[in-house]
Amino acid sequence: MSDLIRSPRFDLVRLRGRNNEGVLLGIIVLLVVLIAIFSPGTLSIGMFSDVLRSSVVNMALALGVLLIIISGGIDVSFTAIAIFAAYSTVVLMRSIGLDNGILPFLAATVIGALIGIVNAVLVAGFKLQTLIATLGSQGIVRGALLAFVGSVYISSLPPALAQVGDARLATIGGSAVSVLVIPVILLAIGLSAVLRKTMFGRSVYAIGGAPESARRAGIRVGQVQTIIYIAAGAFSGFAGMVHVALVGHASPFELVGTELTVIAAVVIGGASDTGGRGSVQGVALGVLLLALIQNSLVRLGVPGFWHTAFVGVVILLGVAIQAQSRRRRNKRSAILESSVTA
Amino acid sequence: MNSVAGSLQPATAEGYTMTDHPIVLRARGIDKSYGGVHALANADLEIRAGEVHCLAGANGSGKSTLIKILSGVEVPDRGDIIIADKVVPKLSVVGSISHGVQVIYQDLSLFPNLSVAENVAMTTRVAGKARIISIPAARELTITVMKRLKLDFDPDVLLEELSVAQRQLVAICRAIANDVRVLFMDEPTTALTWNEVGTLFEVIETLKADGVAIVFVSHKTEEVFALSDRITVLRNGKVVAAGTAGEFDRDSLVEALIGRRELEERIVSGGVHDAPVLEVTSLSAPGLFADISFTAHAGEIIGLTGLMGSGRSEIADAIFGIIPFTSGRVSVDGRDIRSGDVASAIAAGIAYVPSDRLTQGVFLDQSISRNLVASSISSFASRLGWLQPKAIREGVDDLIADLSMKVGSPADPVSSLSGGNQQRVVIGKWLATNPRVLVLNGPTVGVDIGSKSAILQILRQKAAQGITVLLISDDVPELVSVCHRVLVVRRGRLVDEIVADNVTVEAVRERSIA
Amino acid sequence: MSPTSTAARSFIARARRTLDVAGHTGNLGLLLVGVIVVFSLLNPTIFPTPLNLQSIAYAVPEIALLALAIAVTMSSGGIDLSIVATANLSALAAATVSIALLSSGTPDDVAAVAGIAVALLVGIGCGLINGLLVAKVRIAPILATLATMTLFSGLAVALTRGTPLYGLPNAILALGVQTVAIIPVSFWLLVVATILIWAVMNRTGLGLRIILVGASPEAADYTGIRRSRVLLSTYALSGAIAAFAGILMSARSASATADYGSSYLLLAITIAVLGGTNPLGGRAPIVGVSIAAIVLQAISSGFNGLHISPYVYQIVQGLILVVVLVVEVRRGRLTSWIQRMTKRPPADGAALTSEPSRSPNITSPDTIHAAGTTRA
Repeated sequence: MSDLIRSPRFDLVRLRGRNNEGVLLGIIVLLVVLIAIFSPGTLSIGMFSDVLRSSVVNMALALGVLLIIISGGIDVSFTAIAIFAAYSTVVLMRSIGLDNGILPFLAATVIGALIGIVNAVLVAGFKLQTLIATLGSQGIVRGALLAFVGSVYISSLPPALAQVGDARLATIGGSAVSVLVIPVILLAIGLSAVLRKTMFGRSVYAIGGAPESARRAGIRVGQVQTIIYIAAGAFSGFAGMVHVALVGHASPFELVGTELTVIAAVVIGGASDTGGRGSVQGVALGVLLLALIQNSLVRLGVPGFWHTAFVGVVILLGVAIQAQSRRRRNKRSAILESSVTA
Repeated sequence: MNSVAGSLQPATAEGYTMTDHPIVLRARGIDKSYGGVHALANADLEIRAGEVHCLAGANGSGKSTLIKILSGVEVPDRGDIIIADKVVPKLSVVGSISHGVQVIYQDLSLFPNLSVAENVAMTTRVAGKARIISIPAARELTITVMKRLKLDFDPDVLLEELSVAQRQLVAICRAIANDVRVLFMDEPTTALTWNEVGTLFEVIETLKADGVAIVFVSHKTEEVFALSDRITVLRNGKVVAAGTAGEFDRDSLVEALIGRRELEERIVSGGVHDAPVLEVTSLSAPGLFADISFTAHAGEIIGLTGLMGSGRSEIADAIFGIIPFTSGRVSVDGRDIRSGDVASAIAAGIAYVPSDRLTQGVFLDQSISRNLVASSISSFASRLGWLQPKAIREGVDDLIADLSMKVGSPADPVSSLSGGNQQRVVIGKWLATNPRVLVLNGPTVGVDIGSKSAILQILRQKAAQGITVLLISDDVPELVSVCHRVLVVRRGRLVDEIVADNVTVEAVRERSIA
Repeated sequence: MSPTSTAARSFIARARRTLDVAGHTGNLGLLLVGVIVVFSLLNPTIFPTPLNLQSIAYAVPEIALLALAIAVTMSSGGIDLSIVATANLSALAAATVSIALLSSGTPDDVAAVAGIAVALLVGIGCGLINGLLVAKVRIAPILATLATMTLFSGLAVALTRGTPLYGLPNAILALGVQTVAIIPVSFWLLVVATILIWAVMNRTGLGLRIILVGASPEAADYTGIRRSRVLLSTYALSGAIAAFAGILMSARSASATADYGSSYLLLAITIAVLGGTNPLGGRAPIVGVSIAAIVLQAISSGFNGLHISPYVYQIVQGLILVVVLVVEVRRGRLTSWIQRMTKRPPADGAALTSEPSRSPNITSPDTIHAAGTTRA
C-alpha cells in the first residue's frame, strides 16, 4: 500500500516553490545578468536602491491585496482607501496644527481600517461579489475624499512628517534609501508570520481554497473575512501615508489608477485568482520584478512611450505562466490518479 | 411494505441482545419533515462501538437527513438523540464533535490548496480554539494518525496532488485525528474505483478493531454485505428493516431496499433490427477499462452494469468523448469517433445523458426551452445563425408533449421542475438532435417512482422508433425491465453478457457480483 | 377547485409573470422617468430643456457601448477590463490610417470608411487576443484582460508617442456633432447598436451559446457546445463594440488619444451591473444596459445643472452599484418566496423569446455554492 500512497516529490518542484517563487527569482537574476551583459555601465548598486525605493509603496499596498486575493476575493478599492486615509490625515494635521512624524502613520492606518469596515460589511455581510463591492466602495471613498475632504494639492507637509519622508537609512551608490523601507519590511515579515503561523492565517487560505469546507470545519468565514477586509484597509492607509511622506506632498488625485499594477504584482508573485494560494515572498519578488523592469527600461534607453506596453507584456507573461503551471499541476494529479488504478 | 419488514428480524430490542458491544449513539423516534414532506418518520437507530453499521437505502430514503440530525447539522422535529446513555436535548455541530461524532461527507470537504498535514489538523485546530499553529505538530499528528491506519503519506504534499482515493483516506485521517467514537461515511465509495474501495475497506477494518463505531451509508447491496456487522434499511423515511448482517440475505435486503411491489415488469419488444449501429471495438483507457467490445443494433436497449468503480461510467464517458481512450475504436453506422472529442461523437449521432443531472445535465437557471434546444442550436437557426422562434416554439412544444413533461411555461427555469421532469428535459434536449444512439448514465437516480417508469417507457418508445439505447445503471430491476441484453463490467473488463429470457433480476445480480 | 379561486390564482400568476418579464428592464425604464421628473422639478429652467437633453444624448453613446461590451463578456461568465484600452487603440489606428489617406489625397468619405473598418478590425483583433488568453491559455478573464489592458494602452502610447492625433475625416467628426430630428447621430447609432447586439445575444445561435456557457460551463461541455470557440467569439464581439465606442469617442473629442476616458472602465461595469447583467454569467439584458447608461448620464447631468460637485456624483455612482446589488440579493429571496406562494401558470407558449425568471441573483460564489449543495 505504501508505494500506492507515496506521491513523487521532485527536488526541482521544491526548488521552484509552491507559487513559482523560484522561477520568479530566476527571472530577476536573469534580467540583472542581461543588463550586466548588454549595458554594463548601468548596472550599479544605485540601481538597486532605486528599485527598492520605487517598490516601497507598492509593497505596502500589495500586502493588503495579497490577504484578499488569498481569501478568494479581489480588491480594487485599496488605492482609493490609501489616498483617502493619507490625504485626510494631512488635512487634519494642518487644521489642528499637529506636527508629528509617527502619529500620521498611525492615524492613516486607523482611517484605512475604518474604511475597510465598509468593504467587510459588503462582502461578509451582504455577500456581494468582491470585484463589484470594492468597485462600488472605490467610487464612494474617492468621491467622498474629493467632495468632502478636499481636492486641492497640498505642496508642503508638516515639517516632522516631511522629515520622516526625507530621512535616509543609507545612501548607496548615490541613491538614498528611505527609512520607510524598514516599517514596510517589518510589516511584510509580520504578515508572512501571521499567514503561516496563526489560525487566522491558515483560515484565510482555507476560505480561499474551499469556502464550504471551511464552514463545515467550523471556521467562522464571515468573521475571518471581516478581519481580512479591515486589515487590508489598514495596510492601504499605512501605504498611503508612506506614499505621501516619500513624495513630500499630498495630492488627492494620486495613487488611484495604479491598483491594477499592484494586483498584477501580487498575481505574478504567485497568488492565485481563484484563491487559496500566494505568499509574501512571492509578492515581494513580483513587486521587485515590475520595479526592476521599469527601472531597467529607463537604464537601457528604451523610449518612455514604450514602457507601458513592455510592462503589459511582462504582466501577460507572468499571468500566463501562473495559469499554465496550475494546469500542469492539475494534469499531474490526474496522472497520479490513473497510476493508482492501473 | 409491512410484509417485507415482517419477513426480517424486526427492529426491536431482542434483535440486539446477542452482542455485547455497548451502544454509543442512539436515535429514538426521530421525525423530520421539510415543507410537509416527511423525510424521516419515527426512525430508530442504534450504533455500537467496534461495529460497522450499514445505513442502507435508495436515494431520497432519508439516510442523509438522519446523518445530519445525528451530527447536529439539522434539528429533528421530534425524537431523542441519546449519546452514552444520556439524552442530548439540543445537539449542535460543535457539540456532536465534542461527543466524538465525525462525518465524512460525500464531497470530503477538504482543502485542496493545503498540505495533507494541515488538512488532517484543521478540525482539531478549530475545535481546540488555537490561535498560533504549529506545522511540526500538525505533521506529527498526521504521522501518528496514519500509523494507526497503517498508511504512509508524505504529510507535506498538497492535497490537490493526491488522487480521489488518497483524499478519501486523508478525510478519514482528519476525522480520526479528533477523539472519534462514531464515524459517519456518506457513500464513501462513489468516486472510487474497485481497487481503491479495497484499500478503504482495509482502513475501516482497522478502525473497527480500535473500537470505533462506523456508520457506512450505501445503497449498494454488495458493499453492505462486504462490510457490515449490522444493517438498518431506510425506505421513504421509515426504518423498514434492522438487524445483524447475518439476519439478512441478498434477497431480503433487496426487498427491504426497494420493496417487492416496486419491481418493474419486464417489457421488451421483439423488434430489434439486424443492422449494427454502435460498434465498440477493443476500447481501452489505462487504469479505467480495457478491451471493451460490443455491438448494438437499431431499436435495441442494451444495459451496461457492474459495481461502482467497475468502469461502467467511464466506458460511457469515453464513448461520448469526455474521457479519451488510448486504443480501440467507437463507430456509429461505420463512422469513427475521435478519442476525447465530444463534438465528433455528437456529429456521429451519439447523445449522452450524464450521471450528474444538476451540474452536467441541465442549465439549472435557464428556461426549459433554452435547455431543450441547447444541443441542437444550429438546427433551430438559419444559415446565418438567426434563431427561428417559431421553429423553436414548435420544437419545444413537440418535445414537451412527446415526453409528457409537466411544465408550466417553457419560459420557466428548469430549477422549477421536479427531478423526473428535469431528467426528461435532458433526454428531450438530446432527442432534438435526432440521435442514432442514446447513452444514459443512471437516468433514474434521484427521481420518484412514477417518473422512473415514465422514463423507462420513453426508452422503450424511442427504441421502437429505431434508436439504439445504451443504459448504464446499477439498478438491476430497472435493467431487467427494459433491456434486451445486459452487459456486465467487472474490474474494467466486459465479463458477461446476459441475453433475452435469461435477463432476470437474479441472473444480473449474480453475475455482476461474482 | 372553485372558479373564483382559479381565476384569482391565474391573475396572481399572470401578474407575477408580467413583473418577471418586464422585470429589471421595466424597472429601469421607470427609474429613468423618475430621474428625469425629479431633476426637472428641481431645476425646471435647465434640466428639461431640449439643449440639455441633447447634451445628455451626446454623452451617452460611448459609455453605453463600453457597458454593452462588458455586458456581453459578463453574460459568458467572464469580464473584459481592456475595453477602454481597446477603444483607444482602435480609434488611434483609425485616426492614423484615415489621416494618412487624407494626406495622400483620398476623398474624405473613403478615408472615414477605411478608418472605421481598420478600427473594427483592430478591436476584433484585440478581442481575439483576449479570447485566446481566456479560452486557450485558460487565464482567468479578469487577469488576462487586466494584462491586455496595460498592453493595449501601452501600444497606443507607443503608437502616438503620447500625443493626440488631430485632423480626422469630416465624415467621422460628423458622428460627434450632427443631429437627425434633434437627436444626435451618435445616439441613433447607439439605438441601432443596441438593437443589433440585443438581436445577436437573444436571437442568434451564438448569443444563446454565450449565455449557456455563462450559465454553466460544465453543462455546456456535456451539451456539446464548443466552449473555447464561443468564448473567442464573445471577446471578439466585445472588442468590436469597444472599437465602435472608440470611434464615437474620437468623433466627439475631434481627436484620438491614448488615455481618453480613463475613468470609463469602472463606470462601464457599474452600468452593466445596474442594467441587470449577472457578473456570474447566464443573462444578457442588453436593452436594460443601454437604459442604465442613460439613467446614470441623466443623474450626472442633473447634478451638474444643480452645481453639485462631480465628486458627489462619483459617490452616488458607487452607492447605486452597491445598493442595486444588495437589493438584488434581497429580492432574490423575495421572488423565490413569491414563487413558492403562487402556483405555476398554465403553458402559454412563450418560448425562447422571454428571459428566464431571474432566480439566482448576484451574490458571492460562496452563497451560490451553498445553495447548490442543499440537495438531500
